[in-house]
Amino acid sequence: MKNPLNKRFPKELLGDLGKYIVIFVFVTAMIAAVSGFFASDDNMYQTYTSGFETYHIESGHFSTYTELDEETIEQIEAEEFSYKDQVYQMEICNADYYNMESEGTDGDNTVRVYQNRESQNLLDIFEGEYASKEDEITLDRMYAANNDIKVGDTIKVGSLSYTVTGLVAAPDYSCLFEDNTSVMFDAFHFGVGFMSEGGINRLPQEKITYNYSWRYSTWIEDDKIAKEVGDEVLEYLKDTVVLTNFVPEYSNNAIIFTGDDMGSDKAMFGVFYVIVMVIIAFIFAVSSVGTIEKEAGVIGTLRASGYRKAELVRHYLFLPTAVIVLAGIIGNILGYTVFEDIFAELYYNSYSLAPYQRSFHWPSFLMTTLLPVAMMLVINLVVLNSKLKLSPLRFLRHDLSRRGRKKSIYLPKKRPFMHRFRLRILFQNIGNYIVLVLGVILAGVIVIFGLMFEPMLDSYGELVADDAIASHQYVLKTPAETETKGAEKYGMYSLNLHMEGYVEDSVLIYGIQEDSEYLDLDFSEHQIYYSNGLADKYKIKAGDTLKLDEAYVDKSYEFVLSEEVEYYPSFAIFMSIDDFNEFFDYEKDSFTGYFSNKEITDIDSIYISTDITVSDLTHLSDQLDHSIGGFVKIFQILGVVMFLLLMYLLSKQIIEKNAKSISMVKILGYRNGEVARLYIIATAVVVLGALLVAIPIVSTLLHWVFDTYIYTMMAGYIPYLIPTAVYVKMFVMGVGSYAVVSVVLMHKINRIPKSDALKNME
Amino acid sequence: MFLEIKDIRKSFGEKDAKVDVLKGIDISLNKGEICVLLGPSGSGKSTLLNIVGGIDTADAGYISIDGQKTKDMSEKALTNYRREHLGYVFQQYNLIPNLNIRENIEVGSYLSKNPLDVEEIIQTLGLYEHRHKLPNQLSGGQQQRTSIGRAIVKNPNILLCDEPTGALDYNTSREILKLIELVNQKYNTTMIIVTHNEAITQMADRIVTMRDGKVRKNYINENKIPAEQIEW
Repeated sequence: MKNPLNKRFPKELLGDLGKYIVIFVFVTAMIAAVSGFFASDDNMYQTYTSGFETYHIESGHFSTYTELDEETIEQIEAEEFSYKDQVYQMEICNADYYNMESEGTDGDNTVRVYQNRESQNLLDIFEGEYASKEDEITLDRMYAANNDIKVGDTIKVGSLSYTVTGLVAAPDYSCLFEDNTSVMFDAFHFGVGFMSEGGINRLPQEKITYNYSWRYSTWIEDDKIAKEVGDEVLEYLKDTVVLTNFVPEYSNNAIIFTGDDMGSDKAMFGVFYVIVMVIIAFIFAVSSVGTIEKEAGVIGTLRASGYRKAELVRHYLFLPTAVIVLAGIIGNILGYTVFEDIFAELYYNSYSLAPYQRSFHWPSFLMTTLLPVAMMLVINLVVLNSKLKLSPLRFLRHDLSRRGRKKSIYLPKKRPFMHRFRLRILFQNIGNYIVLVLGVILAGVIVIFGLMFEPMLDSYGELVADDAIASHQYVLKTPAETETKGAEKYGMYSLNLHMEGYVEDSVLIYGIQEDSEYLDLDFSEHQIYYSNGLADKYKIKAGDTLKLDEAYVDKSYEFVLSEEVEYYPSFAIFMSIDDFNEFFDYEKDSFTGYFSNKEITDIDSIYISTDITVSDLTHLSDQLDHSIGGFVKIFQILGVVMFLLLMYLLSKQIIEKNAKSISMVKILGYRNGEVARLYIIATAVVVLGALLVAIPIVSTLLHWVFDTYIYTMMAGYIPYLIPTAVYVKMFVMGVGSYAVVSVVLMHKINRIPKSDALKNME
Repeated sequence: MFLEIKDIRKSFGEKDAKVDVLKGIDISLNKGEICVLLGPSGSGKSTLLNIVGGIDTADAGYISIDGQKTKDMSEKALTNYRREHLGYVFQQYNLIPNLNIRENIEVGSYLSKNPLDVEEIIQTLGLYEHRHKLPNQLSGGQQQRTSIGRAIVKNPNILLCDEPTGALDYNTSREILKLIELVNQKYNTTMIIVTHNEAITQMADRIVTMRDGKVRKNYINENKIPAEQIEW
């Protein structure tokens, strides 16, 4: 005979349809989003990693001051580098490039032009065909999309016009970092293009960078070995050629950032998903406990009649598990059919990856099918087992407290009666309220995570713009004089900062005029100032000695730091230009560029390496906004849904649990409005309290995430700045969510009949 | 003896707050006997019933049913013992609100290896026309009849009734008592009925009067009358 208790399932489902539908929809959406994200992440990652071999990706590249002749290249290729018993040789491929100005949708951009590739870093074409004529160019797909360039369009590269014949993905630029020390890639203002030999020959020679990529005779999979061998290569090249740049693959952000980011995205999503599922499991557990308390007499009778604890545990476990299983099935179907493409599109918004390859990944599938069910089973099994462990007699007596008989908490009589009533409601439903507080805090984290980036990047952009030393910061190739009024000479030198636990960072050392019009710093006592980013990210303080290294020479410098200054655009150290020239053994009166609020027009462009404008400094925030905008929107929606879900389910349960009391106070003459105020205000106090408590918790938590995770993973610095308005928004969204929920609860309270209190409910 | 209650002792609380609820209870019942436990509130009769039913434990003494002592049983064995041998009827009916009358009775039937026919029980209890109704659509008496049905459909050796008419009016109480008597006669079920209504003793084979945790009287009812003749 089938257990007749099973006949309750459809009735219980229909009886509490609202709760089950809300949870089902939320969990389905959650699983759909996560499975879609995991599938796209896995496939993208596979596309990315398989590209290393498919597209013959480089083991590294280096740039030289002059062009290498055949003999030198042969000499390098003949050199043997070894790690343990394995010998590696370099296969060198010419990869000269031209950094060309090109007009984009938002001012001037840089397009790095290479010749079409044949042996290393092979391209994959999305649309059109490779450039073959001298007035044709193939462009990176992402850059083209960000600048609204289509196949067939004509673009200016320098002063020349080229027709775009195709859109491609270059494996060595899956992430469009212009420079390996850039804080962030910038696929709006920087792109790569490819031309035929004829096309390349039209470009001005002064723009050329002599660049060479290489692949080892045997591909090195292990980054540790690659680093050992890479260090050997660097040592050798330093003695053989004049290096201006050396970027091995394992540290090339344009190649590895994509993979690292996908890995960290997946980990972050995974953690977030597990936390949400745990909360859902707890909501079910709290709900089941409420049902058990309501049905204590029945349970006592069933246990007294011989029903086993395990039978009842299975009974109360069935519906939550069934809901999660069904949500898992539908969520995964939606995830793999709809959401995968949405997330893949989000990745294509950020990364210049090869065309998508679809395949199936078991670990992720199990994460979105077995894991939620397992979490549901484990958490509910523990809670139900613990609750149903009580003797049948305890159930018959409705004595379910595990701490023995509950004692009344003393409340001073001076407090108004209604206050005391609400406090009693709070104490009585403390379990529900604890889950509510935890859930509201979690939803708060999610909402703030979704809200913080836009204003944070805006604030950062503003700070960077405010702190820009001048409207134009010219970096010269060789010293040149100008008559431009207000132009001020400065010295600049780039050094690297290596600190344990962080990726390599670049620090600019500035030599500033003592009577500078652009920076108000006192150098009378040979002070050395350091930017606040160094202080915040590396916890450096005045009086510390900072050791910085030359990039490609075994030379280090030590700076005894005097004072911190606010300067957001980069990590920087400021000293007087005289001290600067002395420090780096330059001649007196040497300089490397000009600060100027006016454009300098009397220096030939061939002497100018870069003109850094304010908009160049704020590109980072634009790119980040574009890359993560889609994701943060999802977090905002998810956070609000979490608010609504938690507040609705837990408050509803409190009302249901107290239906008899509510009915009784109605009989005594309390009006619906008064009863509603008792229960709704009690919960409102908890919700408001939780939202307020969430603010410092979320702030501390996210600051910690920045300090321990984001800062250690990224080069450069973005200050952790969350404007108060973000917290206010989160608070308002929380309060708004509860306002919506309280309308539903009000309706629910109004519908509780007075007769409930007088009925034998069991 | 079919049911032997031997020197049962039970106390609650500790030290100064210790209260002896049962102070050595000895009762023996034959198979098919109706025993009414009578006594005022706090006399220990419900505690004794719960110990017989295996949902409470005694500090000393033992219960033996058909030669099986419950005090030696593990929690699991005790559950099986209740499952196989006992039926329970409480003052509160404790029906499952979202199962209909037939299904509530099936809840008891499911537990037994040798259940009685559910249809027959429904007929016997006079619930046939209500079998598809939910508990809240029935009167208190009909709900109590259902709870009796749920208990006896298991075909238990012993039916334990704790104030089965405590929440019912006079006429309904008489109907319930008639039903209990009918079940006893039809299925030869041993019954212990806890009550503070002295009139119910008239239908008992054995009357046990308790006060302050002790048996004051324990005797065979020589003047047993059918339930339908009881008045109070």
